[in-house]
Amino acid sequence: MISPSIESARLRKLQLVGILCGFGAGAWLGAAEAPTKLVKLGVSPLIVSLLMVLGVFLARWSLPALIRGTGQMRLDIRQAPHLIVWGILAGCLWAVANTLTIFAIRDIGLSIAFPLWNINSLLGIFWGYLLFNELRDAGKIRWLTVLGGALLMFAGATLLAFASSAQSPAEHPLRGILAALSAGVLWGTMYVPYRKAYLTGMNPLSFIAFFTIGELGMMLTLALAYGGGPDALAHQLDLAKPVLFWLMLGGFVWVIGDSFQQYAAKYIGISRGIPLSNTNQLWGLLWGILVFGELRGLSTSLYAQVIGGSLLMAAGAGAIALSSVTGKEHARWKQAADREGQRYKVDASYVEAGLSGSDANNSSDPTGQPAPQPSRTWLDYLLVLAATTIFVTLALLARAPNMALNWPALLALAAAMFIFLFACSIALWRTTRFN
Amino acid sequence: MAEEKAAPKSAGVWTMIFTDVHFWVPAIVLLAGLVVLHWIR
Repeated sequence: MISPSIESARLRKLQLVGILCGFGAGAWLGAAEAPTKLVKLGVSPLIVSLLMVLGVFLARWSLPALIRGTGQMRLDIRQAPHLIVWGILAGCLWAVANTLTIFAIRDIGLSIAFPLWNINSLLGIFWGYLLFNELRDAGKIRWLTVLGGALLMFAGATLLAFASSAQSPAEHPLRGILAALSAGVLWGTMYVPYRKAYLTGMNPLSFIAFFTIGELGMMLTLALAYGGGPDALAHQLDLAKPVLFWLMLGGFVWVIGDSFQQYAAKYIGISRGIPLSNTNQLWGLLWGILVFGELRGLSTSLYAQVIGGSLLMAAGAGAIALSSVTGKEHARWKQAADREGQRYKVDASYVEAGLSGSDANNSSDPTGQPAPQPSRTWLDYLLVLAATTIFVTLALLARAPNMALNWPALLALAAAMFIFLFACSIALWRTTRFN
Repeated sequence: MAEEKAAPKSAGVWTMIFTDVHFWVPAIVLLAGLVVLHWIR
């Protein structure tokens, strides 16, 4: 007999926050893809990836410091130190996947590559079911809506790919397809560490800080190994100076989207969270069509394919958003969480608090002493100040890429992103205090 | 008491990690990804 884990009203609230964060993640992750267009301007794919990761690193150490303070991270490490390994592992997976996507974009174009790596949502459902009890005891209807929704999104993504591939003929189709599919597998598997961390009770803002260590370490290793050594890397970075800011800004935008994705993975699981954040393809398409003027002058049938594909993706996302987690399924999540807690001897109240979105560090520490509540220190302010200074300096050095942009569309999309940012942040603060 | 409790926990944690399927699934996928990247670059 499985007992209900948390009261149903609280569960509903957490799910609504998770769904909102999933859609918010889609908007921000979709916008972060825009800087990869600079690959065509002669910057090496490895340098593009490395610079994005540097932006990600800066954002991931400064945003958590701003929101919660680094002292909270220390408390999380004390409770579940083993999760540092999974944080680093997830970061390595992300770095390799991101590099693969840049090779895929170069070889087959963004429009074909994007839906191919979005198979990660199907893999996420598989791992969620197999390893973390997701969709167990969920009932046939919820299975059908989640799996059917993910398949609808995949079909929509494929339609979009066919429509937009008219503008980007493949140069190395096999190599590009393999790169895009591999990126999808790596990203789909990256959610295994995410889910493990959140079932154990770790705060997403702490986990992503460890994640960056693996991410930056792996990316630097790849850039040095494949870029011809330190001297060649320094030379390439020097050449990329004019676009440094734009790529690092892409990384920064990506972090905001990924932070929402982490909260979605935490509160609605990876089987629902990943497909919702994969709505980033729709946003990427909107940026491409409205801001960068892609797909201009195509036939009516191609526009019909774009609209049809977008509607399919939206319908799939809607179906998944409506497939709420039942009390029975949540109890199975709790079983998986308890298993994690027992295996690694994590304080049960820490695990429980994490699952219900309350402050996990209000629970007692493993030695039985009440955990202190650290406030922000000079280190937090220093991190925020350093990141801001670097971005402002790079912005002053940056040159605007020579591209025709539709500014009204850009402002409208940016406004939509900020609406999501505020809505998600307020919902997270009110319901979980960013826990 | 607290130190006695913490010691075996830290000693055994690596064994726990290396016998955890949640570690090996992403680790193997990562290695496979590196092989693909090496091949296509």
